[in-house]
Amino acid sequence: MPTEPKTHTRVLEAELGTASDELATEVVAVVADFPRTLSAATDRPDIAFKWVARGSGTIVVSVMSLVGIFLLVQGFRAFHVAGPSFITEQSWDPNSGKFGIAAVLTGTVLVALTAIAFAFPLAIGTALYISEYSPLKIKNVLVTIVDLMAAVPSVVYGLWGVFFLSSNILPVSQWIATYLGWIPIFAVSGFDPNDPLATPTVFAASTFIAGIVVALMVAPIASSIMREVFTQAPIGEREGALALGATRWGMIRSVVLPFGRGGIIGGTMLGLGRALGETIAVYLIISPVFVIQPHILEKGANTISALIALRYNEASSFEISALMAAGLTLFLATLVVNFVASTIIARSRSGSQSD
Amino acid sequence: MIVLATALVPSVAIASTATAAGATHDPIAGTGSSWSANALDQWIRNVFDNYGWKVTYDNSGSSAGRAAFSQGTADFGVSEIPYALSGSDSPDLRPTRQFAYVPIVAGGTAFMYNLVIGGQRVTNLRLSGQTLANIFTGVITKWNDSAIAADNPKLTLPGITIVPVVRSDGSGTTAQLTSWMRSQFPAIWTAYCAKAGKAICGITSNYPIVPGSAFLGQQGSNGVAGQVALDKSVGAITYVEDSYALNARFPVAKVLNSAGYYTEPTASNVAVSLLAAVINNDANSPDYLTSQLGGVYSNADPRAYPLSSYSYMIIPTAVEGRFTTNKGLTLADFASYFLCEGQQQAEVLGYSPLPINLAAAGLAQIQKIPGGDPLNKDISRCNNPTFSTDGTNKLAATAPQPQECDKKGADQCLTGTGGAADVATASNSGSGTTVGGVGGSKSTNGPNGAGSSSGVVGLAGGGNPVIAGSPIDLPSRGLPLPTLLLMILAVLVALLAIVLPPLVARQRSAALANAPRGPTGRVVKRIRTRARLGGVRTVLTPKVHLPAFIRKGGRASRPTEDS
Repeated sequence: MPTEPKTHTRVLEAELGTASDELATEVVAVVADFPRTLSAATDRPDIAFKWVARGSGTIVVSVMSLVGIFLLVQGFRAFHVAGPSFITEQSWDPNSGKFGIAAVLTGTVLVALTAIAFAFPLAIGTALYISEYSPLKIKNVLVTIVDLMAAVPSVVYGLWGVFFLSSNILPVSQWIATYLGWIPIFAVSGFDPNDPLATPTVFAASTFIAGIVVALMVAPIASSIMREVFTQAPIGEREGALALGATRWGMIRSVVLPFGRGGIIGGTMLGLGRALGETIAVYLIISPVFVIQPHILEKGANTISALIALRYNEASSFEISALMAAGLTLFLATLVVNFVASTIIARSRSGSQSD
Repeated sequence: MIVLATALVPSVAIASTATAAGATHDPIAGTGSSWSANALDQWIRNVFDNYGWKVTYDNSGSSAGRAAFSQGTADFGVSEIPYALSGSDSPDLRPTRQFAYVPIVAGGTAFMYNLVIGGQRVTNLRLSGQTLANIFTGVITKWNDSAIAADNPKLTLPGITIVPVVRSDGSGTTAQLTSWMRSQFPAIWTAYCAKAGKAICGITSNYPIVPGSAFLGQQGSNGVAGQVALDKSVGAITYVEDSYALNARFPVAKVLNSAGYYTEPTASNVAVSLLAAVINNDANSPDYLTSQLGGVYSNADPRAYPLSSYSYMIIPTAVEGRFTTNKGLTLADFASYFLCEGQQQAEVLGYSPLPINLAAAGLAQIQKIPGGDPLNKDISRCNNPTFSTDGTNKLAATAPQPQECDKKGADQCLTGTGGAADVATASNSGSGTTVGGVGGSKSTNGPNGAGSSSGVVGLAGGGNPVIAGSPIDLPSRGLPLPTLLLMILAVLVALLAIVLPPLVARQRSAALANAPRGPTGRVVKRIRTRARLGGVRTVLTPKVHLPAFIRKGGRASRPTEDS
């Protein structure tokens, strides 16, 4: 919106410039003329609305900053003790002063990336089907189902992951490790495919399982954002493409996807933000380890939010300070991801219209 | 123990007469252990229904309970670990408030396991304390270790990996296990701590895991029990409250006590064990008022279960902060209720009732609560299942003695344990029935039963193999040629299924696009079929992919702000 007046004046100046060749004196008079000041009658409801809106905006921003300040104050003691090793240290033993977030932060990112790797194709496929292909009759039902999936509490997904998925996915993990184990991230240390007595628990409680469960939580959110954006693709351009003889898929590729690119990226990143902070499901599934664990199929994972949930109950006051410090890093990481996502959405063509 | 209690009473009587009893039962709030929460919740419901006393309890953890009590935000705390425990891994200063410990409920830490031999679940595993400590510190990693075989002369153990499943969250059960290991096997525990990279090695609520080991962490008692109970978790063992093993219908290991018997963590065994618990009454000692479980771990009664322990309630002994005499009245009555009457339900709730010594010590402690006027001032009126009102110790007389086959030696009971008590390990009729007796002269299986009975999987009952079978060579997992070919074929078919339809469609549409646009047979037919199927959208005349230049042009001519 703010860009529009600028281009307008530029056009005006350009027009005036071409006119100035002939009528220079008049042009001066025109430039000296002031535009009429536009004044809207502000009645009470308008003023009230303005202040309510401004107030709630301020409250949201100040609550966010207060949360950040609270975490910083609470975690300051831990930051002070750990120093720069807080970023590089892998183990977590605050009582002895040896603690850091290197392992848990890496774990958080790995779980989130695994989740996005599953959620992205799922979300984009669902969104495209609902907005472009589904018959009108079932469209609303599908939208409701996807929104309902987003509303299911994460502990439900977590319990499903623990009691159903984690035992049934083991053969899949084993298959991948057997045949794709030469790819470093799929390698599983301590797994020998030729040992018939090998226990499948080396694959339990892994980043992979936690990632899949988080993906199911993230996909509906990403999908509904993408669907919103896809449905806004201009009807004129769609019809233009169809009129030029495009198939439906051709139309989607040439109109809907380029139009919705901002929404796709933004929705994925909002999903990533949620995946970073997902707590209960991860907390229920993982077996925490405090080393950087790049093998996603192997037992043992860790995330910051799960660490906080696992250690909070039996923590001494200094341990709580250390957990708050870890929480602050997560807070900042999520903030950055969400901020970038909203910027991308806002800058895109679809996003600027939807705002 | 009775001596201990009576010695305390006079000094307590002076303290209690100093403050008048409270007038009304004011509501009280407590914070603490989740381990004891089931029992406390039940008692809280009972006293509210029967007497109208309002007690609230927040089970957010032992450490949280101790912190809330010392900050004065909770009227009482519940914890497995006392304040300033010597050997704890976290500094935990005593509160400035005056306080005392009251034992509230006892329980045994059970070892639930999932072990299958020859397709049959083992329900009679026996383990010595040292073996357990070695298992939970990663020293023993295979089930056919000679130490396990020595404990189980009648089992031919498989060479599978032991997967110790431990609590991933902070937990009182972990604290109780590490407390036992630290007290009984300090060398093993210290070595493990160092290996796990812990700088301060003491009693801890967070079990340390060595990265890359077979250990698996799971959250909550239900989490660990559920993980062990999975069909795929053969070889797993965990430590958990006995009630979780009962619910999962899984066996628990019998643990060797110092009398040379392998015992189960039944309510009566735990209570018998805790008869040896003493409360430190030396006011100068740093562990003043804490329990000394060393005697419990090495209790010489043949019924004793070594890993028995109990949790404390931390009660205020002075009117300070928000605590008033009216609250004291409620707290003292509540404590008097659960030390006596409430213990009747302990076994049903999956705990053990407090034995006479702890109940007596507890009753002495609660008289220090200011404003309290507890109903039961000594054990004579106490309706506790472990002793009679005349003060005789019913439990010590009536608790069942262990079976003779539970004695350390060549024999081993075949009856099941824990949640699988009704499942005997030997199901084979005939020879199996005789195995329950004394092993007989033919029992050649020494401590190394695994090696001596060649090729017999399952039980080797004194030369009478219950389950006979011979190990066979499993095919190696390398792919035989036919499997490999079929796999490649499957991949090709899948690829074709993905790639072919679009290619065919493209060919067809290209052909249609080149066809003259008149009402030729093919095209018109196509339009008709679409018209019938599509309903509203009928005018999609021949499907044509956009030529490349249009697609490119379209994208390039898009406004640049679309990024």
